Amino acid sequence: MNALAREYAARGVGSIFLYTHEAHPGEHFPHLESMEQKARHAEALRDVLGVTRPILLDALDGACHRTYGTMPNMTWIFARSGIPVYKSDWTDARSVANAVAYFVEVRERRRGRERLVPFQVERLDYRTSDQEGFYAGLARSGPKAVTEFRAFNE
Amino acid sequence: MPDDLLARYNYAEFTKTTVLPWLRFDRSPPLGQRAPDFPLWHLGGPETRLREVWSASEYTIVEFGSFT
Repeated sequence: MNALAREYAARGVGSIFLYTHEAHPGEHFPHLESMEQKARHAEALRDVLGVTRPILLDALDGACHRTYGTMPNMTWIFARSGIPVYKSDWTDARSVANAVAYFVEVRERRRGRERLVPFQVERLDYRTSDQEGFYAGLARSGPKAVTEFRAFNE
Repeated sequence: MPDDLLARYNYAEFTKTTVLPWLRFDRSPPLGQRAPDFPLWHLGGPETRLREVWSASEYTIVEFGSFT
């Protein structure tokens, strides 16, 4: 997602990471109790996991996150007017790249005076299931996060 | 702000009871209609709003998530 943000930054596409809550709280990254703690965890996201996009914090009660569906790692694309044009219940860079390329092309078609009207489309996209990487992420949070996720799936 | 909301949203344990009730993507705002606006905070910086974010570019990608 960082590479995608860099690729499209000069083409009128902004990109941010919105920090929500700890989906898998563990010994090293426990559940959030303050905005100061949330900021520290977000700094780890930047410094340890290498998120280079601007990171913004949601309110401690997750007001924005909860309204948008509370999925742990979703992606939305907004037009400048504040209208969402893409929403995905899981973040997949290929899916987002495909959507962004389409919307950039729409902008070019509009500039070419093509008359366009919106329509709704639903689509099922596919992402790589990286179990090893996922469990490595849980371990970064702490053994408790690994244990709880295993118990969740039993 | 109700303390129980803070505690329930920022759950301390990942269980079906604490997690599943929150996952309501099916009730999220629809595409094609003006989206709800919320206050947000820059990391180490001032308060802003989601509308300020989406107004800054022709299109804006917003990834939701956390360290864990």
